[in-house]
Amino acid sequence: MTLPVATALPENTGDGYVAAAYIVFFVILLIYVAIMALRLSHVQRDLRDLRARTQESTRDGTRQDAAGQPRAYDDQTREREPV
Amino acid sequence: MNGRTLRTLSIATVAAMGVSLSLVFFYAPIELEEGLLQKIFYLHVPLAIVSLGGFVLGGIMAIAHLRTREARWDLRSYVTIHMSLIFGVAVLLTGSIWARGSWGHWWVWSEPTLVSFLIVMLLYATYQPLRFAIEDPERQARYASVFAIVAGAFVPLNFLAVRLATAYLHPRVLGGASGLPPSMELTFLVSLAATALLFATLCCYELTAKRTRMLLRARSRILGFQ
Amino acid sequence: MPAKTGRVVLALLRKELLVELRTLESVPGMSLFAVSTLVVFHFALARATVEGDLAAGVLWVTLLFAAMLGLNRLFVADAEQGGFDGFLLAAVDRSALLAAKALALLAYLLVLELVALPAFALLLLGPPLGPALPGLLAVLALADVGLALIGTLIAALAVRTRARDLLGPLLALPLLVPIVIGAARASSPLLSAGHAGAPAGRWLLLLALYDLVFGLIAYAVFDFLLED
Repeated sequence: MTLPVATALPENTGDGYVAAAYIVFFVILLIYVAIMALRLSHVQRDLRDLRARTQESTRDGTRQDAAGQPRAYDDQTREREPV
Repeated sequence: MNGRTLRTLSIATVAAMGVSLSLVFFYAPIELEEGLLQKIFYLHVPLAIVSLGGFVLGGIMAIAHLRTREARWDLRSYVTIHMSLIFGVAVLLTGSIWARGSWGHWWVWSEPTLVSFLIVMLLYATYQPLRFAIEDPERQARYASVFAIVAGAFVPLNFLAVRLATAYLHPRVLGGASGLPPSMELTFLVSLAATALLFATLCCYELTAKRTRMLLRARSRILGFQ
Repeated sequence: MPAKTGRVVLALLRKELLVELRTLESVPGMSLFAVSTLVVFHFALARATVEGDLAAGVLWVTLLFAAMLGLNRLFVADAEQGGFDGFLLAAVDRSALLAAKALALLAYLLVLELVALPAFALLLLGPPLGPALPGLLAVLALADVGLALIGTLIAALAVRTRARDLLGPLLALPLLVPIVIGAARASSPLLSAGHAGAPAGRWLLLLALYDLVFGLIAYAVFDFLLED
């Protein structure tokens, strides 16, 4: 059994609903992308913040790590990465 | 996962969705009974399939987490389930619109896909509350994995049960993806592929965002801040 | 030398039933709740009798919600009084706890039904219960096994979280929908006037399949809930 195919456009008012469905889908997608963009800006801000504070303390020469040892900014640190 | 992979995925997704939409509106013929409304089928059904697949995939990743005890599997499971929930909302909304157009009601019990989805969503809606109700991170991940496995196994069984019940109560008038003419079948498959690609891409973005934030926080802590 | 699992299960089950007999924490509450629910149904539906689909629906909703009460109480004593730690220290197969608790919940459900069924027949059911009983018992048996398995698994999951009384039923209800589907559809012809005979095989098959699959899953994941 195959679905019947119309040869001429039936006088159906389905257009509105089709549009609505696709619009809903794209709105959800857009909202998601917007949220991602927001989080990205937060991450960039935190990164800038971090960089600024690091440069500041390196300039002062008072930069120390958590254990109290002075460290260079670009040291390869062995940290436990959660993922 | 680096920026180049993400970019390639994004371009591929946009291309696939473009092709899919073109096929839906310019290639696939108009169906006799439902007319233009039937086009929602190419949106609603792929979303449903991908969302359900995501839930089951989340369960499989949870199995990997319990076996290897690696946190990254828990993260993947979490992101996949979260994304499936978002896609699931889209399924319910588009399904409701389709029902309104087809049968005149915003909700119909005679569509087993829609009903199964409601139940599955009600279950997975408890996933995040469950996680937030457990403070210890190791136990949280473990319990969440147990839930993801149980719920993932539930999805196909639920489908079976609801389909049986619906066939008994409301014999289905309008068909699904069987008996399609080849042009419609091609359009459907392309739409399915595009939706799956969208799902995968969004999950990759989500994973990258989470990992970046975690790394940032870890580095902050090590450098002695906060 | 680790004890044989069968013996462990029986020992744990005995403990559960003894505690329940002494404290009467679960079963009387469940039974009373069921009877009250039936009264509520009378007023909510504005009906003196129900039959067929409606009767099946009323019966299974009542049993389901009473079972939620039992689910909530199942692991509370263990969580609060260190029963989990005691069990973990013993050199036994951890699935024994799953089996024992599930059997205990099953027992509570059976006692619940001993009260709820006659109450239902008395208060709301139109057609006579007698001729429906053999078929109904088969349906109850299969559905109760499923309720007990899923109830125990979810109870173990929910008990050590913050909102345990809320999360338990919230997690369990969607998982129990297929059981409600099978049980209600199977009971409906039994509870009809001019009693139409046996329940359709496909619903019993659905219940049996569901019980089997979730039994296996519960057995596979239960250990992970007990680790600390």
